[in-house]
Amino acid sequence: MAAETSPPVETVTVRIDGHEHKFPKGTNLLEACQSVGAKIPFFCYHPGLSSPAVCRQCLVEIKGSPKPVPSCYTSVADKMEVSTSSPKVLDVRRQMLEFTLLNHPIDCPICDKAGECSLQRHYFDWDGMLARNEGSKVRKGKVIDIGKNIVLDQERCILCTRCIRVCDEVAKAPELTMAYRGSHEILTTAPGQRLDNPYSLNTVDVCPVGALTSKDFRFSRRVWELQATPSVCPGCATGCNVEVHASRGKIQRLVPRPNPDVNKHWMCDEGRFEYKRVHTDRVLLASVGGKRATFDAAIAEAARLLSEDLSRARDKVGVVFSFQGTNEDNHALLRLAVEGLKIERIYAGGRPAGWSDTILVSADKNPNTTGVRRMLPAGLRSIKDLTADIAKGVLSTILVLGNERVTLAPGTATAVVALATNKGSLVDLASVVLPVAAWAESDGTFTNKDDRVQRIRAAVPKAGESLAAWQALSQLGAKLGVPLAYASPGEVFADASQRHAFMKGVAWEPPVPPVLLRFGESRG
Amino acid sequence: MATTDTLRRKVVFGETDLSDLDDVDLPAESMPLQMGPSHPAMHGTVRITLEVEGEKIKTSDIQIGYLHRCFEKEAEAATWTQIFPYTDRLNYVSPMLNNVGYAMAVEKLLDITGKIPERAQYIRVIVGEVSRITDHLTCIAASAMELGAFTVFFYLIKTREWLWELLEEVSGARLTHSYVRIGGVVADLPMGWSEKLLDVLGKVRTALSDADQMLTRNKIFRDRMDGVGVISKSDAAGWGLTGPVARSTGLAYDVRKDHPYLVYDRFDFDVPVGSTGDNFDRYACRLEEIYQSMRILEQALSGIPQGRIIIDDPRLALPAKRETYNTIEAMIAHFKLIMDGLHVPAGEVYSFTEGGNGELGFYLVSRGEGRPWKCRVRPPCFANLAVLTKVLPGLFIADVVPTFGMINMIGGECDR
Repeated sequence: MAAETSPPVETVTVRIDGHEHKFPKGTNLLEACQSVGAKIPFFCYHPGLSSPAVCRQCLVEIKGSPKPVPSCYTSVADKMEVSTSSPKVLDVRRQMLEFTLLNHPIDCPICDKAGECSLQRHYFDWDGMLARNEGSKVRKGKVIDIGKNIVLDQERCILCTRCIRVCDEVAKAPELTMAYRGSHEILTTAPGQRLDNPYSLNTVDVCPVGALTSKDFRFSRRVWELQATPSVCPGCATGCNVEVHASRGKIQRLVPRPNPDVNKHWMCDEGRFEYKRVHTDRVLLASVGGKRATFDAAIAEAARLLSEDLSRARDKVGVVFSFQGTNEDNHALLRLAVEGLKIERIYAGGRPAGWSDTILVSADKNPNTTGVRRMLPAGLRSIKDLTADIAKGVLSTILVLGNERVTLAPGTATAVVALATNKGSLVDLASVVLPVAAWAESDGTFTNKDDRVQRIRAAVPKAGESLAAWQALSQLGAKLGVPLAYASPGEVFADASQRHAFMKGVAWEPPVPPVLLRFGESRG
Repeated sequence: MATTDTLRRKVVFGETDLSDLDDVDLPAESMPLQMGPSHPAMHGTVRITLEVEGEKIKTSDIQIGYLHRCFEKEAEAATWTQIFPYTDRLNYVSPMLNNVGYAMAVEKLLDITGKIPERAQYIRVIVGEVSRITDHLTCIAASAMELGAFTVFFYLIKTREWLWELLEEVSGARLTHSYVRIGGVVADLPMGWSEKLLDVLGKVRTALSDADQMLTRNKIFRDRMDGVGVISKSDAAGWGLTGPVARSTGLAYDVRKDHPYLVYDRFDFDVPVGSTGDNFDRYACRLEEIYQSMRILEQALSGIPQGRIIIDDPRLALPAKRETYNTIEAMIAHFKLIMDGLHVPAGEVYSFTEGGNGELGFYLVSRGEGRPWKCRVRPPCFANLAVLTKVLPGLFIADVVPTFGMINMIGGECDR
């Protein structure tokens, strides 16, 4: 504990299942029990939301209390004696599960949540009773389109109200509400509303069952086939931490990874769709002059173009950095183009700015603007300047990292060497196209708007013949007499963090094997 | 050539004066010979490299592993229930015994050994003993055939076929039953099965009696088996031998008697123990064990109670389909049991039963998940085969065949 100016934290002593523990005053009892290994099932509690204690699944016995107490709603108090696994508590858990399951439809074979469903997990861990009711179940709405991205199944809903709280507290858009009472209570949209706030897909994450499902992910894969890799969203400069869920080399969905400093437990809907560009319209093969070429031939041609122009007129050669690229890719380009080839015309660009809000979304739709700006000298010129310079005929060759929307006026003879991931106007007019890896195929770092350097990890194999941009640049450098002997992304990072102050002190961290969601703890 | 001549002249013709060979150039090197892995007498693919002088074996090297299929590694990637088909393929002539052994190990770790329904325990004993009979029938039949007694082979294999037909009725397969589950067995005995089994046991008796008449006092059979491949009792204890091989040496160890499990302690049966530890004793032990297994079977069939055939906990055993399709609780239980695997508390256990060849042990390590962290098999025929490195040198090449046959090394079990 660093700050000496704040008063010392008051701790209380609590007895959980016979063992004494100390916690800071005000700790949530449920969290306290979980932290010492006394597992308690819960549905409606969520560490990022307010706690309404509606599901009653987390009831524990506290000495001196006549009735069992919801641990998610209680704070630890001094000399509290808690029992989380007495026969009475276990029986209460079974009873609550029995109530919850009473009207639950038998949808497991067709429900997306199967495999990461809290109801399945808690039933299996805490309840062993078969059904006692013989009667039919209450029928409610089944496949209800409640918004742009979400489908609701009212029968599966266990009325935990997590989604309502997400919309109220996180998205600040109270679009969902409960209606009716008793066994006919349903989740529905507020009168006249649709569930289309920009954080709506977080409700799918927090829903413990398969009541709210994402239209994008529904029926595409069973969750136990997915492998999870931690990474960072490239959608904007906030850099929400995500988990990339991929199966058989294709990304199926992105879900937020909790980070109390950046995105808490959430991410915006736009960010969730960032995985689509990894598998759509990719540049798979190298090309020279629009015709397919081998990667080596393309490198050779690029080297030839650059070295010719550099020897003829160095000030007519430009290099374009990418706010979409990792620190490592941009650093390799810096070493090659600026330091090695002494190119003076430096530009940088990315996706155009967009909307923003005070919750998570930044206006800057690039993940690494800060990183690139910190790496490059002052006087960095934008894509607008680039277009103007090309139109003026000032540039003869440009080396571009990224998918910039560069326009060439007809008649201007500017050669473009593009290290691109996706098809577009740049690839169409490039003289040499080198396919490079997309964000989800790369190991590297992004720097978000708060100077936070975050690690991204490769989740899927590189598409087609693409290499990491720093690999392509190393090959190019070898042909141009600027040896960048990088053998692994870690080496590029080490070189970059040694050179740039903002990257100092950041850990590269060892490789993380992707977690197969099957045999892992069920999420949800 | 000259060496063989010498032996023949001395042994067969009883000549003592071989001075005419004094000036003959006798070979001084021994000859290396490969027996196997592709050899009609090398059951389950094993390779024995022999160094022979004439017909006599100087040294032997037994090389196993040709049937290694990474059972233990595969078990780490499968749920507890998915391992049953793998266990079928361990000792593949007595698969029920493997199923039962593994199930009991997991149940020991789950601490539900006392909660297995009684009917399930009886059924396990019954199918286990039927498997034991098929194991011994196969061993005797194959060994006899390799010594030239083809008729015995056909009689006993036909008998084995009747038993396999019964096991097919009960489990759906002649050999790869996967019949046992954690907590019990997967299906009940079909109607009329007990009567059919008793009928077949009668036929087994007839076949055994025929085999006995053709082999036990057969001069050729006795000459090939008596005094050949002798294992001493101390060697049996020292090399960790179990099963009929150990009992033939006089070491009276049978897990069913010494550490009774399931309902074996309720049955009246004897354990045949030999004295010489030669091939014939091993044959005789196995033959008598079949009779004793039949005794157990008759007692079990008459005493089997009615009741459940698998434990009544939806967290361990699949609920009935009627429940699964109509209630969410059973659906969830079914789903989690199949996808995650039943949760076995963290810990480790060694559980052992009497397999066809001896003490079949399973050492399981669980980390609390639905699949094992480690599943090691103690194969009885691994130790039984190892003792041959001591026994084979000094034997003739022709003796390797019945000796190896009577050890009953099953490749699937030895190599896993």
